[in-house]
Amino acid sequence: MVDELRVYQGALIAVYVIAIASIILLTGYSGQVSLGHGALMAVGAYAAAVSRIEFGIPIVLTFFIAVLAAAIGGALLGAAAARLSGPYLAGTTLALAIGLPSLANQFSILGGEQGIFFDVGFPPLSLGEDFTQYKWFFWIAALAALISMWLLQNVLRSRYGRTWRAGRGNEVAAQLCGVNTARSKILAFTVSAGIAGLAGALLSMTIGTVSPSAFPLALSFSLLTGAVLSGISTLSGVMIGAVILVAIPELADVIAHRLGTSESVTTNLPGLIVSGLLILTVLFVPNGPVEQHRARTAKHLASKKI
Amino acid sequence: MFQFINTLLIGITSGAIYALMAIAMVLVWRSTRVINFAQAGMALLSTYFGYEVMANFNSFWIALPVAMIGGALFAAFIEVVFMRLLVKHSSSGPIASVAPIIATLGLLGVIRAVVSMIWGGQDLRIEAPLSNDGFTLAGEVLVFSPMKLLTLLTVLGLMILLSILFQKTNLGLALRASAYAPEIARLSGIRVDAVRTLGWALAGAAGAVAGMFQTVNGSGTISPDSIEFSLLLLAGFIAAVIGGLESLLGAVIGGMFLGIVISFILIYINSGLFFIAPFIILLVVLLIRPQGIIGTKAARRA
Repeated sequence: MVDELRVYQGALIAVYVIAIASIILLTGYSGQVSLGHGALMAVGAYAAAVSRIEFGIPIVLTFFIAVLAAAIGGALLGAAAARLSGPYLAGTTLALAIGLPSLANQFSILGGEQGIFFDVGFPPLSLGEDFTQYKWFFWIAALAALISMWLLQNVLRSRYGRTWRAGRGNEVAAQLCGVNTARSKILAFTVSAGIAGLAGALLSMTIGTVSPSAFPLALSFSLLTGAVLSGISTLSGVMIGAVILVAIPELADVIAHRLGTSESVTTNLPGLIVSGLLILTVLFVPNGPVEQHRARTAKHLASKKI
Repeated sequence: MFQFINTLLIGITSGAIYALMAIAMVLVWRSTRVINFAQAGMALLSTYFGYEVMANFNSFWIALPVAMIGGALFAAFIEVVFMRLLVKHSSSGPIASVAPIIATLGLLGVIRAVVSMIWGGQDLRIEAPLSNDGFTLAGEVLVFSPMKLLTLLTVLGLMILLSILFQKTNLGLALRASAYAPEIARLSGIRVDAVRTLGWALAGAAGAVAGMFQTVNGSGTISPDSIEFSLLLLAGFIAAVIGGLESLLGAVIGGMFLGIVISFILIYINSGLFFIAPFIILLVVLLIRPQGIIGTKAARRA
């Protein structure tokens, strides 16, 4: 019998896998930074919840609606983003992450600060008596993660993935090869946003509600951290970042208890560890652990042959 | 009419503080071609230095210079220890272009966490040195107080001082040369690394002034999670972008413009737009005039 908390954390890891993958696609492959993916997740979550509550749409379809709504938002943002570079894009998406969730207070249909419920219902009885709610969440999230990883892997290996990487490496050269870099950037933003929307809907499923406070600026930052820790230029390390993000609060708790620190230290330790890891990774393992390992193995093999 | 004047005055004073943050951003951008997303975090830390002095000596006029020196030293330390390492390790590879952004965001997180650990999450009070009661005009009380007048004068004074430094002194020439052509500057005997550190230090001091004045003009209290500081982070960046990122005058104009536009949106349209207004303004500016109000096209590439 697995602990309920562990099942919940498992579901959370699956959600983070999807969200981090959306950042890796955007930043690692297409070379665009987004600090606003928390806001895009919120768009997906609200779209799913509203379509469920107001229109009674079947639960499976609400996830597709989340993807669609966030993708439309991403396409709009991407159209602006294609004209912006590096820090400008980062600042614009940062402004979006701060601003968008607060808009929920402007529309009564979105439930203001309290938010609205997003209930996927009980697990089907055929799964047995001891199949808990969190297990149900876990299996939905895990299935969604598997499907989206499989789709993403294929997209990244297709010509679209290659044009994204070409545009990131050298925009002028890519244009000379006939790549419409602006269109390719917008497409990358759209796909990435759609995936983020799915992650948002799944996140609100595990929490049970959708509210502005579920999508703070810190969420966007931790997604970026997760992506950097996973190795931002490859999809294969995506589990690493997701597990670290979920494990850090618990780990920090253990450390704080062991050291017997004061309350203000205990509450801020996770933030310190996440940000510290982010800095150390950018400084010393900029391509992420997976790429680092791959490069080292390649070097090792090369030296052996000689 | 009266409401119009008050709206304008609110906009100008909050704009003055955004302008200070924007000046700090511009100084860092000019010296190292980095947008420092940790600038608000540095301002926060400096303001806590100021708070400590206030708690011990109870004088704003001692606290302000100490906060500025503390902010400058901290910024210089970050440049020497942190940014140089960053340039050394991640100047190539797939994330070279986004590494400084990610690193300064990480820095923001670290500063915030450490500040919260040391001073706790509660609101700490910093007394304003001048009265915050508004002047009266034709029997009506304006939202413009002696404190706000001082804020405005400080910003203008700082801008003029920095402009003189950049335009009229040899040091300013070295600062500009290192920013525009580091290789050639190095060849002509300028110690580019030291000059860059100085650019960061100046920015740290400007950020400290912004933090101190933001605190005494606003709620009078600081806390690591206050809304005012997350707004500083954003507003400084947006004001700098509106001003074209390259010029100090642009930063001040950008800050004022942003402050006034936000103020009018909040009072005349809808106060619920407080957080989304900066995004809309930034997007409109970037799409219509990406080089900023007085910037040049070339400034945007880098």
